[in-house]
Amino acid sequence: MSGASGYAKPLPTVTHEDREFWAAARRHRFVLPKCRACGHVWFPPYASCPSCLSFDRGWTEASGRGRVWGFTIMRQPYIPSFEPELPYNVVLVELEEGPMVYSNLVGIDNGDIVCGLAVKAVFEDATDEITLIKFRPA
Amino acid sequence: MNDRDFAGQTAIVGVGSSDFAELYRSPDPERTGEALATEAIAAAIADAGLAKPQIDGLITGGLAHYEPVAYRTGLTNVRFVADYPQAGRMCATALMHAAAAVYHGLADYVVLFNSVAFRSQGVKFGAQAQGLLYDTLYGMASPGAQYSLAFTRYQAEYGGTEEQLGAIPVAIRSHARMTPGAIMQAEMTIDDYLAARYIAQPLRLFDYCLVNDGAVAYVVTTAERARDLARPPVLIAGTAGRANFREWYVDLGFWDQACRSMKTDLFDPLGVAANDIDCLQVYDNFSVAVLWGLEGFGFAPRGQGLEWVQGGRITLGGELPVNTSGGMLSESYLQGWNQHAEAVRQLRGQAGERQIPDCNWSLYWCLSALPGASLLCRDGLL
Repeated sequence: MSGASGYAKPLPTVTHEDREFWAAARRHRFVLPKCRACGHVWFPPYASCPSCLSFDRGWTEASGRGRVWGFTIMRQPYIPSFEPELPYNVVLVELEEGPMVYSNLVGIDNGDIVCGLAVKAVFEDATDEITLIKFRPA
Repeated sequence: MNDRDFAGQTAIVGVGSSDFAELYRSPDPERTGEALATEAIAAAIADAGLAKPQIDGLITGGLAHYEPVAYRTGLTNVRFVADYPQAGRMCATALMHAAAAVYHGLADYVVLFNSVAFRSQGVKFGAQAQGLLYDTLYGMASPGAQYSLAFTRYQAEYGGTEEQLGAIPVAIRSHARMTPGAIMQAEMTIDDYLAARYIAQPLRLFDYCLVNDGAVAYVVTTAERARDLARPPVLIAGTAGRANFREWYVDLGFWDQACRSMKTDLFDPLGVAANDIDCLQVYDNFSVAVLWGLEGFGFAPRGQGLEWVQGGRITLGGELPVNTSGGMLSESYLQGWNQHAEAVRQLRGQAGERQIPDCNWSLYWCLSALPGASLLCRDGLL
């Protein structure tokens, strides 16, 4: 997975369904699919609305605010490129708009992470094409 | 399938199982998933006292396709086939469909099995592709990490310690030590549990199930036919399912709604109550799944399951023994199938030194993306 940028960790396989999401992230914007038929907001960016099954998909700007629903501290090298970071956190964030996203929490010691913590999205450029959305304490 | 007319009209009449410990000690790549399935099928048919040509239904699990096993077992009279993907959660579903098939006359005798060669094939339960929520981009890998993440939430809502959680794997290990063929035979104390390494903190090594090879097969038929066969029939009192299709896998309410719904489906038509259940043989992919099922099915008060499992309550000889052959944490990761095999042994009175006196009812559940449950009982109770 290592590219010219030297970024060694997994990168997304961008598809027709999530190309706009990743293009927005590259511009440091966090967008979510929003149904033009019923208004439902969802994630990940399926081409169709999981609520009403319409394919009339629009996008809405996410506030970037959410709360930590739960977290875990990874202690084993399941993914070799993450081994240098062990132990590292993974959080499941409940976005203000409703969807749940996995991410990493930055700017906080692992021992200080608590469920319910208010967090705000930050953008980390991984490569020239891919920017990951992570979170910091709000 | 949970209505009063269906309850007890079908039965498990034969069980065949690998010797899990022997396969673990001496992994044999020549004993493929198909070979293990064949051994288990032969044993289950023999246990039922049937002749192979009587088998006219086949349900397969754990393998890529039903055909290789159908050919090598020479099942020539089959008129009902179903084929399930390799996924631990399918046991109650397979039993449900086998029971429905014989109840409605789609087949007279269904053989169903799960066969896995995880260890000899080097299967890893870590990072599989990128995950539905871009999991691996953030280093999220393995089902255990997802259950671990849910446990931090559970602790935030209800409290409880890691040491309290350890009571579950410790109890289940003590049962494995009484079970011929169980993989983990070493004594494990709570200190041993706490001394083991974290995998995804706060879950430790012994909160995780095994990864091993093996197969389990059952024969299911109608209760009426069952009464003419070799073994005491074990009746299928009911099966239930409730999907929890979410990309983040764990249920945000710790499967409470799914468990309550399945309990209603299983218990209410029969007038069965929680205190009628003599043992639990449940899906312990991770220790916390036992905890949440105990609460969801109403055995322990919501949020108090960790206290409830202390003091030997879930150990043989206690109020409600759980996974009396060692479950998937210590006997074998046959994904619910070894649990049902143990339920049959208990309900037939064949469990040896593990036998629960007057064991009449055994409950199974699996908490996953496709929760399922089943209730088995001795003949004469329905």
